[in-house]
Amino acid sequence: MTDVTSTIRPAVGQASRKPGVTFVRLLYVYAVLFIVASIVLIPLVTTALGGFKTLGDLRTNPFGLPDMWQWQNYGDILFSERYWRMLWNSLFISVFTVVLTLAVAGMAAFTLAHIRFFGSGYLLNYFLLGLMFPVATAILPLFIRIRDLGLLDNPWGVILPQVAFGLGMSILLMRNFFRNVPQELFDAAFVDGCSYIRFFWSVTLPLSRPIIATVGIVAFVQSWNNYIIPLILLTSESNYPWPLGIMSYRGEYGTDWQLILAFITLTILPTIIVFFAAQKHIIAGLTAGAVKG
Amino acid sequence: MAKVSINNVRKFYGALEVIHGVSVEIENGEFVVLVGPSGCGKSTLLRMIAGLEAISDGTISVDGQVVNDVAPKERDIAMVFQNYALYPHMTVRENMGFSLKLRGSSKSEINAAVDKAAAILGLGPLLERVPRDLSGGQRQRVAMGRAIVRDPKVFLFDEPLSNLDAKLRVQMRTEVKDLHQRLSSTTVYVTHDQIEAMTMADKIVVMHDGIVEQVGAPLELYDRPKNMFVAGFLGSPAMNFIHGTYRAGDRPMLELADGQLVPIRPQASVADGTTVVLGIRPEDVVIDPQDGLSVRVSVIEPTGAETYMVARHGDAEIVCVLRERVVLNPGDTIRLSLASTSAHLFDVTTQLRLT
Repeated sequence: MTDVTSTIRPAVGQASRKPGVTFVRLLYVYAVLFIVASIVLIPLVTTALGGFKTLGDLRTNPFGLPDMWQWQNYGDILFSERYWRMLWNSLFISVFTVVLTLAVAGMAAFTLAHIRFFGSGYLLNYFLLGLMFPVATAILPLFIRIRDLGLLDNPWGVILPQVAFGLGMSILLMRNFFRNVPQELFDAAFVDGCSYIRFFWSVTLPLSRPIIATVGIVAFVQSWNNYIIPLILLTSESNYPWPLGIMSYRGEYGTDWQLILAFITLTILPTIIVFFAAQKHIIAGLTAGAVKG
Repeated sequence: MAKVSINNVRKFYGALEVIHGVSVEIENGEFVVLVGPSGCGKSTLLRMIAGLEAISDGTISVDGQVVNDVAPKERDIAMVFQNYALYPHMTVRENMGFSLKLRGSSKSEINAAVDKAAAILGLGPLLERVPRDLSGGQRQRVAMGRAIVRDPKVFLFDEPLSNLDAKLRVQMRTEVKDLHQRLSSTTVYVTHDQIEAMTMADKIVVMHDGIVEQVGAPLELYDRPKNMFVAGFLGSPAMNFIHGTYRAGDRPMLELADGQLVPIRPQASVADGTTVVLGIRPEDVVIDPQDGLSVRVSVIEPTGAETYMVARHGDAEIVCVLRERVVLNPGDTIRLSLASTSAHLFDVTTQLRLT
């Protein structure tokens, strides 16, 4: 999203300076923007509107406005205890996944970026190997390990594997960012009396807001939408996060699609809110001024 | 306030030895400048004093205490870096107070120390700004303020002025010097700029390829360089070197490769017929129509106050600084006297100064 806006601004600016190409260029820019926005928005709007329809209406008129606005679909979900419990479960799992991922990956990335020790290269590659493993291939050993740890049907049994699978990418992203913190800052802090841990806390982390936001959002969204790990490792419905909740609208002989759409609309809302809230923190160029700028 | 002794220090990177046994004594309150061309090991030596580089061999002691294995923060030194190395997310006040905060000083102590340092450097109005809103000179001053706040035993400067433009550099040079006179703290200053070294130092250490070529007061080094490297490095434009053979006698002469004889000042200790290099500074070369070295003028560069003249004799290029305005054109043939009493003779092979 940030990319789209940043490429558009100069284009519009140039266009206003050269009157000859103004209209064509503007038309082109808006056409492209319109297409991109449609690809994102049409499914979202269809889903949200679908939640207001009856099943029959949905079958005959999937894209238009509802014949009769069925506020009850949303009302039933919002007033059910089940929805709020699943939302709470999802939130609990996602928040702790994000916190743990950031803490563990941040410290590992800092070490791998700044401290040279025997085998640091191998260790990094070992973490990166994890990028090549799809979760599905590891699901059986994972199940056995979690069972042995006694964490089956426990939110932590979902949080820990999610953190583990997210580490490879997070360490890679954060390490590359940390390596760009100027070496002289490190020297200056050392002479000032900083320890490694203090430098990490007082200098690296405040300078790394963009990457922390990025890694945090990726971890949050992945955890929020994760289906397979909770499906395998959680057994009682009171522990289910929301993706598993959808299943209960699938009957043996039919599926209440309008309820599923309403449920999805209500559950992706928090992710969208989180994304917009965190986006403000993705500010590039925070390091400008550290070294001659 | 401290005395720093560097005793036969060496530095290896793997098998590569970059510093070959350097010994320097830095007295209490002295302003010592380490100067030399890029890659001579001066910055490495400074970083070893700071504790940012391990010392491979030899010892560095501060006030008699060997600090080889002491962590940087326990050495009680402050360092100013070439790129300022200010913490970008902290205000000037936080930047300056950071080391005290790490030391566990109270808020009021920190504020008092920062305000005092800010007053010395005229940083008062900038205290609440962040580094990216400051100009280069202001950032450099903040970096110095960060060092002053700690009231350290030793100040270390690592080419602090090389990122500033020429005018600001001259101004900051005066400020650093002035600061040292007010605080009279022991200071080690690294630069590749021999003018900075000459103007600021109490004592200059000339380094080259990881060894110390000569240590001494600026004018002492300028007037009596130990070897051709020091002679050529200090002074701008650089000293002229002219190869030839020494001819002793009532009127000692230098015989050049083409057989021309040029009178030079007597050198009692040099034997007749020795192959030597005559070193003479551009300002000591004078035009002498009588019996000087015959040269052809190739470039005239007026700077206003003085005129630089580049002349050629065979392969040798002689630069000459003329105080008077002269009417000369490229291509003219003139005679230059090399008989100045400030000229030196160097041994061709050892490059050491004779006499």
